[in-house]
Amino acid sequence: MTLQPEDFWSFTQWLLRPQSFLESALLQGIVLVILAIVLGLLVGYIISAARYGPSEGFYAVARAVRDFVRFDFPGTSPRRVSALARLAFKEAIRRKVLVVVALFVVGLLFAGWYLDPRSSDPARLYISFVLTATNYLILLLALFISTFSIPADIKSKTIYTIVTKPVRATEIVLGRMLGFIGVGTLMLVPMAVASYFFVTRGLRHDHEVVDITDLGNGRFEGKTSYDQYHEHTFTMDPAAEPGADAFGLTDAVRGHRHVVRETDGKYLIGEPTGALRARVPSYGTLVFTDRAGNLQEAGIDVGNEKARGGYGSSGVARLIGATREARRYEHGYMEGGTLGSAIFTFSDVTPARYPDEEGIPLEMGLRAFRSIKGDIVSGLNGSITLRNPDSNQIESSPITFVVQEYDIAEERLPRQIEGTDGTETRLLTLFDDLVTPDGRLEVIIRCLDSEQYLGTSASNVYLRPAETSFAWNLTKSYGSIWLQMVMVIAFGVMFSTFLSGPVAMVATFVCVLLGFTAESIYDIRYYMDKGEAMGGGPVESLVRLLRQDAMTTQLDVDNVANKVIQTVDSGIIYSLDAIATSLPNLPKMLSTAEYAASGFDIFGSLLARHAVATLGYFVLAFVISYFILKTREIAA
Amino acid sequence: MNRSTGFRNKLIYLAILIAMLIPLYLLGQPAGGGTGDAGGRLTQMRTDFNIAESELGEINPASETMKLASLGLRGVAATLLWGKAHDYRVHHEWDRLKATLNNIALLQPHYERVWEFQAHNLAYNVSSEFDDYRQRYAMVREGTEFLTKGVQQNRKAPRLVWYTGWFYGQKLGMSDEKKQFRRLFADDDVLHEALRQHNIAVDSPEARGADNKPDNWLVGRLWLYHGYDLVDAGVKIRNQTPINFFETGPKWRIKAAEAMESEGVLDDRARAAWQQASDDWQSLGRRSIPTTSTFTIKLGALEELQRERQEALDELLEIAGETREQERQILLDSLNDAERLAWETPPAERTEAQTNLAYQLTYRLEPSLASVARKAPAPVRLRAIELAAAIEDLDARIQKTEGHRNQINYEYWLTLTLAEQEERTVEARRLLFEAEQANAAADLDLAIRKYEEAFALWAEVFDDYPVLTLDEVSDDLMKSIRRYTIAMDQETFPDDFPLLQFVELMQNEYRSSEEYERLRNLQREKLREKEEAQLEAERSTSADADSL
Repeated sequence: MTLQPEDFWSFTQWLLRPQSFLESALLQGIVLVILAIVLGLLVGYIISAARYGPSEGFYAVARAVRDFVRFDFPGTSPRRVSALARLAFKEAIRRKVLVVVALFVVGLLFAGWYLDPRSSDPARLYISFVLTATNYLILLLALFISTFSIPADIKSKTIYTIVTKPVRATEIVLGRMLGFIGVGTLMLVPMAVASYFFVTRGLRHDHEVVDITDLGNGRFEGKTSYDQYHEHTFTMDPAAEPGADAFGLTDAVRGHRHVVRETDGKYLIGEPTGALRARVPSYGTLVFTDRAGNLQEAGIDVGNEKARGGYGSSGVARLIGATREARRYEHGYMEGGTLGSAIFTFSDVTPARYPDEEGIPLEMGLRAFRSIKGDIVSGLNGSITLRNPDSNQIESSPITFVVQEYDIAEERLPRQIEGTDGTETRLLTLFDDLVTPDGRLEVIIRCLDSEQYLGTSASNVYLRPAETSFAWNLTKSYGSIWLQMVMVIAFGVMFSTFLSGPVAMVATFVCVLLGFTAESIYDIRYYMDKGEAMGGGPVESLVRLLRQDAMTTQLDVDNVANKVIQTVDSGIIYSLDAIATSLPNLPKMLSTAEYAASGFDIFGSLLARHAVATLGYFVLAFVISYFILKTREIAA
Repeated sequence: MNRSTGFRNKLIYLAILIAMLIPLYLLGQPAGGGTGDAGGRLTQMRTDFNIAESELGEINPASETMKLASLGLRGVAATLLWGKAHDYRVHHEWDRLKATLNNIALLQPHYERVWEFQAHNLAYNVSSEFDDYRQRYAMVREGTEFLTKGVQQNRKAPRLVWYTGWFYGQKLGMSDEKKQFRRLFADDDVLHEALRQHNIAVDSPEARGADNKPDNWLVGRLWLYHGYDLVDAGVKIRNQTPINFFETGPKWRIKAAEAMESEGVLDDRARAAWQQASDDWQSLGRRSIPTTSTFTIKLGALEELQRERQEALDELLEIAGETREQERQILLDSLNDAERLAWETPPAERTEAQTNLAYQLTYRLEPSLASVARKAPAPVRLRAIELAAAIEDLDARIQKTEGHRNQINYEYWLTLTLAEQEERTVEARRLLFEAEQANAAADLDLAIRKYEEAFALWAEVFDDYPVLTLDEVSDDLMKSIRRYTIAMDQETFPDDFPLLQFVELMQNEYRSSEEYERLRNLQREKLREKEEAQLEAERSTSADADSL
């Protein structure tokens, strides 16, 4: 999992962006609210003016606003809201939405057909499967239940049985929203439980010992049977005391190990361990040095194809054109056998946070790049050096390692290590000599083989102060799914207050879809602004498609046609960009599943950000729904 | 609209629905299984074009469900998945890439190119992204297994089978890390078991290398021959030329022998391997290979064709008598003055224009055999026309055969297999190998002695098989010669250095096509001489026996 710059932001950084307020979520929210108010008033006034004339229309709008502020909102009664929510809940249940849970279970039953049993990391595949399956199912469900309810009531006129009662429009909207959220929650819980068991049981497997050889000194080495498309080798340590059980550990294959236990000459292989993890990483800041040792912001680019996207984090700044470039972390490489290195500076390195006497756990996911064949049999060599950020003279001797690509290599930074303090070589103490009083530590990674390269990015090397349980992490991912569901329900209810059921559904669906394709829209706009041919907007793409032109060639049409195409395309893309920017960033929320799947604890700040964004959109949708419903009531 | 009209409308709709279902039912009716009941038109067409699911390959329930679940949007789903697969590649998410490829294959199990493209992607592009050669091997294996799945689902796709064989040979046996790959493959019991299940006889001597473990080239060869069996059973080769398709199997046996020798097996086992390689290559010469013309050819039948042509020509000229000369005279008479002058001027005195003209006239003045036959005396005219047509046909066959032989360098490989199975060649290789080992161990005296023995033998081998100077061995030999000069601490070669001519050849950028042609002709003569000598010897032995 390679994290992007915005993933490292704390909640406040995200909300306020102290260095560049234009990119902040708060500003985005404020703009959205102002826009909603202005647009709302304008549309409200136009409608009212059409109905009652210009001056009367003005008073109607003013009255509606006053009603909301003075009566409806303060007068909203929790009791009535809960009664309406109960109704919505019952209605949804009556419409047999629980079938979705059954559908999910059927999906799980047949999942084995499509999940590759030979995957090198089955845990990741299983977790991402259950989370994405749940996510899409729940969003689909939210879409259906939220959009059909109010239009159906209006059509069958049952809404009048409610509005004629002393119920406020706020209560109707809120009741619906909360009722549907209740239904969704009710369904999410069994799905989460089923997912947990699906993953844990799906990964469970047994091996038998098929081969064992005596290494002497009471130590043994052995091999397990080949099950679930893999086998392990293991070593047994001698028993602690004669007659007691001896224990051993297998090697890590497909992300897990087994404990081997020997009782009375019989070997028992335990359950897989280590497959389902939730590491809590502590990331540092990263800078590189080039071959001459000069500091560089980025490492060497070895020419890998770049991933697309990474515009979303710039918020309003990008929309108004203040920022253009995508913000992405790519893997930077360091040249081996030179002064090239990657320097990570970690903060908050304290004995209290890393109490383990064996040392601080450091985990690395490095990539190797060879510019020459070199020694094929051995992997590339690298080294880790610890250095005091305040005094570059104090540094440890290098700890060497062989790179393990596409796997997380675990190293320990020992509490005491040989090194130099600038004057002499001696045993350095980690927390006293290498860590600064304010808890900072530099970890320098180098490639040792000349003409070869090691690559990393800011999220690929980290300290691991703790680990939480997988179950809790899964719960957090479900929390994220829940938030997305709330968002979709709020939008669904909002659209259903003025559109018919199917249209409201399509509208909500388009919003979700726009949220998911936002990055592609931003990308198209980026190339448009830059004036670079990259396929262009919808019209240009269509022309290219029909003419079978490549996307990077200049569009071969005459000047006038070109002008027309460009203008229409800019109109479409700029509008789409504005809409997509104002919509919730669902793919970002969906990506929390990636954390759980890759075995990382979902950051609290990330969930908090999503929760605040959801709340914001929820409130906005609620207020808009209220006014629309109010308008319809007036019309009725 | 009142109730009754509504009801009536419903009835009309129902009737239309049923009416539309009837032709569908008739068209799609399944075959009854009995004789004469071939089913509806659709069923018949399915059978005719061999596109019934059960005909194409193993039926995979997962695949069928997925196709059904995509509700006819299979193409869209597959396109999205292709995009996703590409993204995963960019993000180095190999595991997910594999999972996505599996899903694409489930959606479109009968698109041969998908299997081919993505298997290649895994085995060649993705595998090279790993630093650890074992991971690289695992990815190559993923690629080949992916392809094997494709083979299972496409029973009538010989190219997929061929490609599988190609992977086992080319990717495992010719990569930078071939030594490691070949070792890992030989010890990969799990893969061997999987291969057994695909009816690849990994336990047979046909698949086992010098260490009695499965050899990647030979296993690849078994796959290829499996494909040949398919084609022999009547399945058409698509998207590939037959010559390319049929050449690889025998070639893999040659590669197996080469690999064996390069790994230091230089004894009777190597000779046996070369003997088998030679047999395989000659069997390729006996195989009927379809061409773009209406006839098939046999690569090994070139001399036979040439002999037949000569016989036919001799007969035609004999029965035609004077006709050919008369025809030529007619052509000569038709020349204009300038042409006649050019033709009649002795070559040494011609101007440049005349030389060119005369050159063109050589062809123009040769009467075609067909015209000779048509003008032949009446009693033999029919026979002459027959013969002329036969010669024309033989010419076409000879041309095709020669073209195909050149395309795959048939003669070169034939000679190579003949040369390599000789004890002397194996001995020459062994000596060179030992010399290299001694040199690496800094035992210079031994190395020099072995080098000299090896060079003397190589000189003999080259004398008999000059075409071998084009082989890879010549590069290795050249490197050995350089090491020998370093060991000897001398820069020039003595006059009696056995490989002097070879060194000059190598230094003279000899690899021109003319030089190659010359070497090939030389080789042909040598072989002919050898054969004649052998015949002579046999004749004299039998004469001796008779006289006794």
